Parts: sequence; C-alpha cells; structure tokens
Amino acid sequence: MQRIPLPERPDWRAEAEKLGFTFADMYGEPYWDETSAYSFTLQQVEDDIEDPCTELHAMCREAVAAVLASERLMARMGIPRPHWDLVAASWQADEPELYGRFDLAYDGKGPAKLLEYNADTPTSLYESASFQWLWFEQQQAARVLPQSTDQFNGLHEALVARFAQIFAADTDVHFAAVTNAPEDYATVETLAWAAREAGLGAHYTDLDKIGITANGQFTDSEDRVIGALFKLYPWEDLLRDPFADHLAGAGCRFIEPAWKAILSNKAILPVLWQMFPNHPNLLPASFIDEAPADLLASRHVIKPIFSREGQSITIYDGKQVLEAATARDYDQHPKIVQGYQALPEFAGMHPVIGAWVVGEACVGMGLREDRSLITQDLSRFKPHFIEG
Amino acid sequence: MKRSRNVALVLLGAAAFGVAGCVEEKTEAAAFESKESCLAEASPGGWFSAADCETAFAEAQVLHEETAPRYESRELCEQEHGVDACADQASSGGGGGFFMPMLMGYMIGQALGGGGRVMSQPVVRSAGGGFATPDGSTKIGALNGGGQIRASAFAKAPVTKGLAPMTKAQVQSRGGFGSSAAARSAGG
Repeated sequence: MQRIPLPERPDWRAEAEKLGFTFADMYGEPYWDETSAYSFTLQQVEDDIEDPCTELHAMCREAVAAVLASERLMARMGIPRPHWDLVAASWQADEPELYGRFDLAYDGKGPAKLLEYNADTPTSLYESASFQWLWFEQQQAARVLPQSTDQFNGLHEALVARFAQIFAADTDVHFAAVTNAPEDYATVETLAWAAREAGLGAHYTDLDKIGITANGQFTDSEDRVIGALFKLYPWEDLLRDPFADHLAGAGCRFIEPAWKAILSNKAILPVLWQMFPNHPNLLPASFIDEAPADLLASRHVIKPIFSREGQSITIYDGKQVLEAATARDYDQHPKIVQGYQALPEFAGMHPVIGAWVVGEACVGMGLREDRSLITQDLSRFKPHFIEG
Repeated sequence: MKRSRNVALVLLGAAAFGVAGCVEEKTEAAAFESKESCLAEASPGGWFSAADCETAFAEAQVLHEETAPRYESRELCEQEHGVDACADQASSGGGGGFFMPMLMGYMIGQALGGGGRVMSQPVVRSAGGGFATPDGSTKIGALNGGGQIRASAFAKAPVTKGLAPMTKAQVQSRGGFGSSAAARSAGG
C-alpha cells in the first residue's frame, strides 16, 4: 500500500460538473482529490480487505441473531422497546440486506481492523462506484496508469444483481433522502440507477414529504402508495420519528431492513468482540460501564452508539484526551469503548478504507483521508488502484 | 477480475427518477366554483356542453356526499381544510355527529379518448390554500380555470359514507419522518 502522487486529469472538474458530481468541492475544500492515489497489491486487496470483510459481514449476521436472542443485549442497542418486535420480525422473515460499508484501519501490513460498520446509511457510493472508476479508465487511457493495473470496484454490477435478486421484476421501489443534501442524493440516485438496470421502477421522494393514508400506508410526495422504500435515513431516527408507530403496519418493505438497526450501531462492536475475542480484524471493545481497566488505561476511543461522520468521538491515552471530534451532536447517546488503532500516515494524511458489502459479499472499496486522526466531514475521497 | 464494467453515471437530479415509472395519461379538465360558472364557459364548439355542466354537477354532489372525508371534530376538519371550510353533519339516524368539508366546487374532465361522458369530481378546500379532490390526491390552486391534469384525478375516492368519522390518528398527514435527524445529512 502506497500513496502515489499522480497528475490530475486536466479536465476532471469540468467532467465532474457535467456528470452532476456537484460536491467534488465542499466547504471550500476539495472533497474529490486525485493529486495522489493509493495503490495496493492484489494480495493486499484480496487477502486483507475483500475476504476479511465478507467474513466480517457473516460474523455480523451471527451477532444480530445473538442480540435478538438476548433481552440484555437488545437493551444495549438504543432501540425503543415498542419497536423490538419490528426489528426481530424483519430478521425472522429473512428480509434481505442491500449494502453496507466497513470502515477499516489498514496500513498494508498487518490485518485490517474494523473501526465501525456503516450498515444502514452509507454514503460516498457515487464517488466509489462511478467517479472513481471513471478516473481509473481515463488514467489508463492517458497512460498515467499502466494497462496492467486494476481497481477493486465491482460495486455497480453487484448492486444491479442484488436488486434483481431481492425484488421481482417491475417492482416499484421508492428512494427517500433528506432534502437538499447533495451527497445523500447522489447515493440514492446511484442506487436507483442500479435498480432501473435491474428492471425495477425507481421513484424519488424527499423523506419529509412522505405521508400516511387513513389506512396506514406510506405515500410519496405525489400521494402514490409506497410498497418498497429505500431510505437513506437511519433506523434509530425512523424509530423515534412521529410516524414510527406506523412502520410495522404500513405493508412496506424497507431497504435496509429493520434488523440493520442492530448492525449500524456501535453497540455491535462489544458484541462482536465478546463473540469473536481476539479476531484479527476486530479491536477490543466494551460497553463503557463494563470496560476492563486495561482497556481504559491504554489508548482507547470512546464513541456514542449512534454517530455519523466521526461526530462525538474522543481518543484517549488513559485519562488524557489525545483528540476530540469538534462536532458533538451525538454526545447524549450511550457510549462504547474501543481499543485505539492508529491510522497509518501517508504524507501527513490518515486514510480510512471503506470496504463495500453488497448482499453478503465484499465487492469494492473507496478511501477517505483526513489530516485529523478522526475521519470527519472534511475528509477527502481518494481513488485507488491495484498494481499490475 | 476486480473490474467493473460500470460506465460514467450521470447524476441528473430528481429528473432522473420516474423515467422507468408510469407516465400517467393526462386529460383536459376544468374546475368551477358553481354550476353557473361552468355553464358560462360551456360552448357548442368546446369539449363540454351545458348539459355536461348539469350532469357533472349533480354527480359531484353525490360523490361529495359519498366520498368526502368525515372527521370526529371540527378542529380536526379545520386542520385539514381550513377555518370555516367544514360543516357540522348532525347525524339523522342517532349516534354522534361528524364534520365534513363543504363542497366548494367541482372539476370536470374530458373522457379519455375524447368521446363519451365527461368525468366529474367534487372539490373541497385544502388547509394550505387552494382546493383538493375528496381523497386529497389532486390539489388545484384556484377554481374557474382549466388545463391538462392526470386522468387519475377523476378516479372515485374511497367511500366514506356510513363509516365512522376519522380520529386524529387516522387523518392523512405528512412530515412524520425526518425530524429525528441529528446531522445535516443522514448518511455517513
């Protein structure tokens, strides 16, 4: 694994604009950054990322079953008790998952370590699946990258195949996202593109335009009944919204299914560590009130069970704060402790690997890097390639 | 073997959706506040006649009685339809009374294909301003105008006559998702 300076494509900004990738710069900073790229060997990709992440997802599924079987663990998940049955029923009905993203610390040498699993509402899908691939093809064509190089990016095909597998042909699927969030919108549009290619109907609705009929069905912004809904909105929030009590009886199939409320939840990290202690891809983790003294005495991270974009995360060395996220919107949630894994440093930047799971297999990756040790919303997306 | 055949995906904005969905058939329609305003617009060369105004108005009155929403309280009805838009319907056959939005006018539509009887739909006031069909699925800004609308606007709304009036919990509403989001965007 290396970080290799490369010439930028001279016209990539124009290309991004033409393609509708409007958030290639965010907050006045570049978000898409191709002044350098990360390179990997095929062995690193296959043995250290792809296979371990497919295994991690299988372990996560075991952990979901274990949590659902234990009232004690369910109580740790921050899921409102009136909705436990909804979550359990979605698992018992074997409702299929669509996608997720493992965030990993990996330096090219030791095993990749799971930082967290964004199993419910991962974004950066467009830049991973499409713009990154375009970069790769164009850089090969420009002979910046040798013909023998490759990229770990089967995301689009896998999404098409998965949609075709989990929905009957011509099913109408609604896609909902928060209004006026371009990154979120790009992710749902990328998914809708795949859904259409899989022979499904795709409709968009702003999340806050969803309505409810007198007999309890959800409707979109044009009052069409929603039979299947991909929602880029976390289960932990859905279950606390005013419409939460309508979820179970709406006759609506959700993507991701409700059981993802257990996985996209940092409370799963202590459960995984209890079930698979010393697994090479896991970091020690504990609920904060059960944390062993040696974990708290060494370098560790305290995370709320719900958090996005690195918010409310604090890194400690014993009692001393090493670094704390500036955005703290999630401070009020229960916390877990995780052993600290230093992110590698390349040219002063700290990359995190986002390994994509579609269905039950790892099918691609994208990287973000940040100057800070906590990858936050100012991180940059970096393309990667596999050495030939 | 790691390769994707993915092509450059173009993000179009909301226009990208619905391409593969149904493109609804549209029809010529006009909305009136009264039978008289309809009659004033009817012409032998137009798509509806004076007789169409008469039959459509009679039909709209029947449909309103059958399909307009019924609420258990004036407060609830006014929440959906605006102040002074609702009437107390004292129950004639015993039992409690209920509230219905008043008939504010009607919409007529050209039969699909051009021939045949015109279609009719009553309209009631909508709380946010403007008017709506009984099931709320089609909203129109003002009466005494016309244009193309989707033909499904003339589908008969579910019958409410004889059903128990709606309680607060049953009233069709919107905006019940999204309020718990802590962050500006919901993904991560």
